[in-house]
Amino acid sequence: MPRYAGHFTICTPMKFSLAIYSAPHASQSAASALRFAKALLAGGHEIYRIFFYCDGVQNSNMIAAPPQDEADLISEWQALQQKHNLDLVVCIAAAQRRGVLSQREAHRLEKPVANLAEGFDLAGLGQLTDAVANSERLITFGG
Amino acid sequence: MSNRTLALCRAAPYGSALAREGIEAVLASAAMEQDIDLLFLGDGIFQLLDNQAPEAIGQKSLRRNLKALPMFGVEELYVCQSSLEERGILPEQIQIPGAEVTLVEKPGELIAAYQCVLSF
Repeated sequence: MPRYAGHFTICTPMKFSLAIYSAPHASQSAASALRFAKALLAGGHEIYRIFFYCDGVQNSNMIAAPPQDEADLISEWQALQQKHNLDLVVCIAAAQRRGVLSQREAHRLEKPVANLAEGFDLAGLGQLTDAVANSERLITFGG
Repeated sequence: MSNRTLALCRAAPYGSALAREGIEAVLASAAMEQDIDLLFLGDGIFQLLDNQAPEAIGQKSLRRNLKALPMFGVEELYVCQSSLEERGILPEQIQIPGAEVTLVEKPGELIAAYQCVLSF
């Protein structure tokens, strides 16, 4: 039986990766990516990796504090990561440019704060290449 | 060309970070010995223009990164012909030393031939 994920009809379970290029509150792209990820998992598909690049690194910025009546994508990514043990990878070079640092990077670069949210890992662009090589579909959001 | 990747370059070089970070992703991919080709379309054409002077606006040259592509084995640069014509740019203005620039009339058909497409 075909499964319905929004406008898509995907018949057989597949291995997906997502590339996310937009910040949570600047456009709808990151929220769409989150909804798409949930739809994939609900449809029995596998998510190999979610790669955050360009302004998408802001999805892992734990000191973002949106108003209470607005979506909190960072927490939602974390909850989804915990539930499905997702591989959430943030491009380290893009994150450094935009001020998203792990404890280790903050220490190494002599910056006063570390703000990479738990559940996300900093890594190089090679992880995007690896996701391309090891997924049946790569879906890009934003940019 | 089933295992090749195509990177779409759609953004002008200095108006946003997308063009630079796209080329960085392409170079990273090529450094890992993945087969990757590029298609420049829309305002992405402007990335290829010669005689850029980005230092005048405090930017690093993106063309310098593009010139590094052949050194990483990326030698096939496709350019959307209608995007070029719409912007009044001539093919001789968008040459990269060591790379082959091929004008494409039907970008859709080119894209469809690739197993994976990265979009920047």
